[in-house]
Amino acid sequence: MPPMYCDYDYLIKLLALGDSGVGKTCFLHQYSEGVFHSRFISTVGIDFREKRLIYNSKGINHRIHLQLWDTAGQERFRSLTTSFFRDSMGFLLFFDISNEKSFLEVQNWIEQLKIHAYCENPDIILCGNKLDLDYLRVVNSQRAKTLAEKYDVPYIETSAYTGENVNKAVEMLLDRVMLRMETLSFPGRILPPMSVLPLQNGHDTPDDRIKLEQMTDKTKCNC
Amino acid sequence: MALNPQYVDIGKGFVAQYYALFDDPNSRNSLVNMYNNELSFMTFEGQQIQGAPKILEKLQSLTFQKIERIITAIDSQPMFDGGVLINVLGRLKTDEDQPHAYIQTFVLKPAGGSFYLQHDIFRLALHDQA
Repeated sequence: MPPMYCDYDYLIKLLALGDSGVGKTCFLHQYSEGVFHSRFISTVGIDFREKRLIYNSKGINHRIHLQLWDTAGQERFRSLTTSFFRDSMGFLLFFDISNEKSFLEVQNWIEQLKIHAYCENPDIILCGNKLDLDYLRVVNSQRAKTLAEKYDVPYIETSAYTGENVNKAVEMLLDRVMLRMETLSFPGRILPPMSVLPLQNGHDTPDDRIKLEQMTDKTKCNC
Repeated sequence: MALNPQYVDIGKGFVAQYYALFDDPNSRNSLVNMYNNELSFMTFEGQQIQGAPKILEKLQSLTFQKIERIITAIDSQPMFDGGVLINVLGRLKTDEDQPHAYIQTFVLKPAGGSFYLQHDIFRLALHDQA
């Protein structure tokens, strides 16, 4: 039996969403500089990546275990296992600034999130990706900003290709999620039970990860 | 009409032909010829579609180019009107995405010595819980 301790303070789960081809996977890859290990959970069609980081809030360092969830192309079929919306604490919602349709779909994605996420106004960052393709841009910044304001979410333009604003977008989302946790409108500090402790060495198995998912299944906030 | 004793071969032959057309983006739209203008149904990931024109719209909306497909099983049954019920268990990989398992069900309806595709139900084998 492993000793009962946990080497992180917060377990944060973020989900990347948006139409197929907008660069979600590329973005997450860029964010973690390609060093994370990715695992595919085929039964639910979700790619699963992890990263550790230190988050400083009011002079206190928090150890964050970040889980980044990525869909595996099923949005091409217009299908997504929405239970992952509910289990995520924050959302990176992408469109491609050179693809009008992906921008028009943003509204649908937000509506879906309002229905299936842990609450009606979950933390979302709207990301206009492929800033490196600015010369092919069809969605101007002002339109995107107007849409973002309508839904009261921040807007940022990113390039998964060059890395521009990639870290910033994740940090913006993390700030919001942490703020929500610290204001206790969210059952934040999650201490896993014994069964998921293999995380302590950073070598958890897929099965343990799945338990982690289920453990916080009932995560709901008060809003 | 009598049961068609060739149902196993018809099932296999149809599935091979259907996917040969579906998996090539240049020929995918020609699948529309298998459906009846009004009397065909498609259910694609829960989306209900009726009639060849609407089905064609759906086929045209699919964005993937490259498909790698593995067929694990084709189960067929003869129907009492001479048609054939076909169920496919398979796996497909679209472009660079991860492979997904899927289930697809077809009903071939006899018409003038041949068949048209009366029912087509497609569903990825994705669950709500890991």
